[in-house]
Amino acid sequence: MVVDNPEFEPHFSHLAAGRLCFPYCMKCARFHWYPMPLCPHCQSADLAWREVAGRGTLYSWTEIHHAFDARYTGPLPYIVALIDFADAPGVRLVSNIVDVAAETLTINMPVGAHFGHAADGKPQVTFRPL
Amino acid sequence: MRSVRGSAINDTNIPMDIAIVGVGQTTPVRRSHKGIRQLAIEAVQLALDDAGMAASEVDAIITDGVIMPHTVPREFIAAQFGIERRFDGGNSFGGVGVACAPELAKLAINAGKARTVLFYFGVDWGSRASGPYGFHDMYPAKMAFEKPYGFNAQPSYFALWARRYMHEYGMTDADLAAVAISHRDNALLHPAAQARTPMTLESYRAARMIASPLRVPDCCLISDGVGAFIMTSVERARDLRQPPVRVLASSFASEPFSGDDIFTQQPEIFRVTGAHSACQRALREAGITIADVDFAELYDCFTISVLMQLEDLGFCARGESPAFVRERGIGIHGGLPVNTHGGLLSYSYLLGVEHVIEAVRQLRGAAGAAQVSKADIGLVGGWSIPDYGVLLLGKDQR
Repeated sequence: MVVDNPEFEPHFSHLAAGRLCFPYCMKCARFHWYPMPLCPHCQSADLAWREVAGRGTLYSWTEIHHAFDARYTGPLPYIVALIDFADAPGVRLVSNIVDVAAETLTINMPVGAHFGHAADGKPQVTFRPL
Repeated sequence: MRSVRGSAINDTNIPMDIAIVGVGQTTPVRRSHKGIRQLAIEAVQLALDDAGMAASEVDAIITDGVIMPHTVPREFIAAQFGIERRFDGGNSFGGVGVACAPELAKLAINAGKARTVLFYFGVDWGSRASGPYGFHDMYPAKMAFEKPYGFNAQPSYFALWARRYMHEYGMTDADLAAVAISHRDNALLHPAAQARTPMTLESYRAARMIASPLRVPDCCLISDGVGAFIMTSVERARDLRQPPVRVLASSFASEPFSGDDIFTQQPEIFRVTGAHSACQRALREAGITIADVDFAELYDCFTISVLMQLEDLGFCARGESPAFVRERGIGIHGGLPVNTHGGLLSYSYLLGVEHVIEAVRQLRGAAGAAQVSKADIGLVGGWSIPDYGVLLLGKDQR
């Protein structure tokens, strides 16, 4: 079977084990996101995965009220966020903020990771305010 | 400059200026019962008729490099119109393909590779089930890491930017509304515009939320349609039916971000990559400054997009675009008329080919009720993230 993006897989196996990990360049010592064959900062192929503590801050967020694409319809509304990590500078992760009312969210508020699974069984990480 | 009139091709080493000599667009609609190929044939015929040219005079076709090759390939149009191509090209995608088509046409005409170049572009995203959202399926990291979290559509990307911009620069929903209302006011001056309901701050605030803080009127329309334009040397243009509209400059610029990364990973999130470079190069090539631009047709996929581009193109500084809209004004009679047809927000969503066509109307003095009083130089901004293209068009001052 052809795997188009084998560099994506470690993220999911780490999530399945309850770890949040991001690609890290051993040459320039910088994180990047998304996973890719070469470091986007220095073009090195000497890449590893580094675990972060799972505490982030809310860079931005939006509450989605519209089912855009029939292929991805879940209960509305839901919150999509962009999350920064102090221990992985340069990474911004797209995830959901769950179990919270949108009105209570503020930019830069601390959020914590929770490990689970998507409807299709794929490992997922979502966040709640800390 | 030595005259090249009558010459079939540019066989001199002297750069030739080029002009847009014919434009055509199908009537803006959400859904058309015609297929995209039929719409393309109609737009091309409209552009030929506008120029007063026969298809046999066209010897090159340019389209964007990503969307048209899958829906209305160049060889299909060539075969339908009996066009024998001596030059063929695709560049960038979507809006930048549009804004930079004259850059490629000018290179081809100056190299003696072509004499008359046809460009067309359109989408059938009003009819396609996944519309513009499915277009981003080509990005593997979006498929793996974003779409499973319901981050699966352009309004959600721009909503994150708008929210952060509000936090950093104190923008309010009234600032976004001012952009949406100005576009709608302009659209109401064009009989063909797709959105025809007047908008007020009250009706803006009553509109359905899509991806907070963006409401329906913050998001561009979705349309079926095609636009086309024809380019040739200014010398030849002067013998044709319409007043020539000169290509003063057309410049592409980009930065090393992939389509997967650009919406979320760029350190300076509000920077429109390529816009500053493309604009500076275009201004230099045209020998003008940003202050010489009389009106601008910008890639208004969302209200926040207009604000970001006003800043990166150099009309105002970072964080100042809401005040620019309030104080200088972007209406037909404002300090900088923007999207004089109503833009992607209110006229049609053909990713900017309608922007070139509207700029040509303005420079011909043929924009009717929406005519800008002084329209000598117009700027068209094409945005296909992370690429940007700036097209400067001007009246033929001979």
